[in-house]
Amino acid sequence: MNGFHLSTLPLSGKVFCTLFLLGIGCGALAAFVQASTAVGLSPAAVEASLAPQMPMTHMGHGQMSGEKEITLGEISSSAKVWMRTPLLIQTSHTHLFGQTLIAGLLGLIFLLASVREGLKVLIVALPFVGTLMDIGGMWLTRFAWPSLSVLVIAGGSLFALGYVLIAVISLYELWFRKETMA
Amino acid sequence: MRNLCWLAATALVILAAAAPAPAHITPPVVLASDRDAVAGLLSGARRFFVREVRLTPAERQVIRQQTGWSADEDFYRFYVGRDEQGRVVAATVFLTEFTIHGPVRVAVALGPDGKVKGATVVELTEETYPWVKPLLDREFTREYVGRDARGTFTVSVGGGDSMAQFYGQIIASLIQRAAMLYEVGVIKRGDAA
Repeated sequence: MNGFHLSTLPLSGKVFCTLFLLGIGCGALAAFVQASTAVGLSPAAVEASLAPQMPMTHMGHGQMSGEKEITLGEISSSAKVWMRTPLLIQTSHTHLFGQTLIAGLLGLIFLLASVREGLKVLIVALPFVGTLMDIGGMWLTRFAWPSLSVLVIAGGSLFALGYVLIAVISLYELWFRKETMA
Repeated sequence: MRNLCWLAATALVILAAAAPAPAHITPPVVLASDRDAVAGLLSGARRFFVREVRLTPAERQVIRQQTGWSADEDFYRFYVGRDEQGRVVAATVFLTEFTIHGPVRVAVALGPDGKVKGATVVELTEETYPWVKPLLDREFTREYVGRDARGTFTVSVGGGDSMAQFYGQIIASLIQRAAMLYEVGVIKRGDAA
């Protein structure tokens, strides 16, 4: 970027970038564990958490009540979070701000990487696209089609892939690449 | 060096913009699964049923007038426990209030007479849990056992902790809403037996 590269940063800049990347990595791991315990990591688990509640009885549209016998085994035994619209709104606004800001800071670091412009465009876009796909997928799962829960998993994976690529390439360039001055 | 200063300034602006994020909701704390809550609250029941109720506009209006709460879900689900003779032991319903600090979800058991038989807080958030824990430790929801929807549902924390008071009141209100929901959607329809 205008002759300025990760490999030529002063030590303070290298330490800042390294610790930031490590910190975000730890945060991403914690978020992964949190998502797996609170919701689950399969499209089915995401769908169960986000999709509108469907009747367990055969209560049709317009019917005022329905009853059927069940066993306790039919009631969810996993302590999972069930997201309804108000929680979805809260989650969306915090995650859209938070993840976009993280993607922005990751992108700022990666702009100084010495990779081909085309590749840089692709990698720097991954966390942003992943965030939009993740949060957008939540809304589509709830209001459009429950099977679109796969977008939430795909979005999270894209964000993670973007982070890993940015972190690995940046850390390599920060500490191992010898910049050849033109 | 000018580029570096520009980058650092941009990063600083982004970090400053991110600062309000921690002020928002924290991750959920799930205290019990639905199955555990239902099994605990319907103890003594031998058979279990799901009764789903869709409220009429008039029923929603009654609930709003009595409790100030807008019951706007498409339908409400009661888990009904019956004894071997088919008599209703109790019915459990899950209700949630979404606060600025995250959701509070409560399971409430109601007898066939509409009186509260028990209540369990099943979900909070990391932030709200410490506020509510002192109340949970003294099993404050027992204070409401035996009350129907028209009873008094206030909370006293006895120490002036305003957040505990606030969340205790939310839980108490959820218990009252459950009682009102059961009264309007089941008992008054003649479906409680």
